[in-house]
Amino acid sequence: MSVKHEERDTAPLHPSSQSDIDDLEILINSPPYPSSVLPAQPPPPPPTIPISTTTSSPPLLKSTPPTKSTVPSNSSRVVGGGGGGFGSAPNTLTEPVWDTVKRDLSRIVSNLKLVVFPNPFREDPGKALRDWDLWGPFFFIVFLGLTLSWSASVRKSEVFAVAFALLATGAIILTLNVSLLGGHIIFFQSLSLLGYCLFPITLGAIICMLKDSIIIKIVVVCVTLAWSAWAAYPFISTAVSPRRKALALYPVFLMYVSVGFLIIAID
Amino acid sequence: MDLNNNQQPVGENYSHPEICFFHVLFKAASLAFYILSALFFNNFVIIFVVTVLLAALDFWVVKNVSGRILVGLRWWNEIDDNGESVWRFECLDQESMARMNKKDSWLFWWTLYLTAILWIFLGIFSLIRFQADYCLVVGVCLTLSIANIIGFTRCHKDAKKQLQQFAAQTFAGQVSSRISSAFSVV
Repeated sequence: MSVKHEERDTAPLHPSSQSDIDDLEILINSPPYPSSVLPAQPPPPPPTIPISTTTSSPPLLKSTPPTKSTVPSNSSRVVGGGGGGFGSAPNTLTEPVWDTVKRDLSRIVSNLKLVVFPNPFREDPGKALRDWDLWGPFFFIVFLGLTLSWSASVRKSEVFAVAFALLATGAIILTLNVSLLGGHIIFFQSLSLLGYCLFPITLGAIICMLKDSIIIKIVVVCVTLAWSAWAAYPFISTAVSPRRKALALYPVFLMYVSVGFLIIAID
Repeated sequence: MDLNNNQQPVGENYSHPEICFFHVLFKAASLAFYILSALFFNNFVIIFVVTVLLAALDFWVVKNVSGRILVGLRWWNEIDDNGESVWRFECLDQESMARMNKKDSWLFWWTLYLTAILWIFLGIFSLIRFQADYCLVVGVCLTLSIANIIGFTRCHKDAKKQLQQFAAQTFAGQVSSRISSAFSVV
């Protein structure tokens, strides 16, 4: 169990916010499990332990096959908690490397879809991006820094370093902000979400780099800003209680706007 | 349990040379690129992007591939149905763990720690030279490296604990089943 989470749980809340908490709990608990519309989410790797007599793993069992039969209960032993009712899900600890690559790629694609086609009226937006990964944030931050430094005429490296530091620390501070507001969001989940929501802005930056007209730039940045904010809105607003929604959303929007200004004003 | 009967002799070679290669490749590549690029060309953007990309690839390889194949461990974080963050630590069962190649795991752990130590040294150098932007590169690489160290160290501890628990459980189970069978006979 992460330390951050415990901190968040014990974060002192004002007594008057109890109603908020109740509302939030109702909000969280109300959707029963089957109603979740997890969009094309691959099931998490099931934490089952393989029976050691399995022969499905060429890399692991290159040595002599075991002659001893193992205890049958070994197969159902689960490390680190329950498997979440996945039954006899395929074991992923001995899978070929290619399967791991494919699973991670499909996860990135599904996470990206959530942001590219945002749907604030999704039934359970809080559950989205549950399968977080940090590839998206990493790539988008680096791409954004690259496009900014390319479009900058002087001191390209400083621009890149400043853009990277701004975006990375910005994402971390925003995440801290959400969790300090008593939000039900995990640090990495939020980091992943904020990073994926940079995707439209990155697109906008690339378009701005190619076009020189200032009017087109402003229009493109405004559109992509709205797109990014629209994508980030459902996640952040369900993470915190309704009364503090604005407090959590405002800094996010502020960071995106400042990035937009950076894109317009870079040359 | 005679688990160590068919163990590799000391002089035996790596059982997964290609995985070992990739395990070392990205670590060495990111370190080498960071060190050598300062000599040959002085473009911070390229240094940053390539070094961090290599470090990120190394992070992924260690976390998802070489960890489970070389030492049979894997860690990850997931969010359960209640929205709580759960750290999962996985390990192979006892028998497969005992069959792990000693050289493989030796290489895995040593390179894991050595990379972080080297990055710390490079970070100290860049601090001394007052290069804040290069500190950024080292900081990102060091964070990735340390995340894997923490993950796998905790995973290793967890695996040991699980094995002990399992051994105790099976022993208790055997004893109780024997007692019950004895009773059923009576």
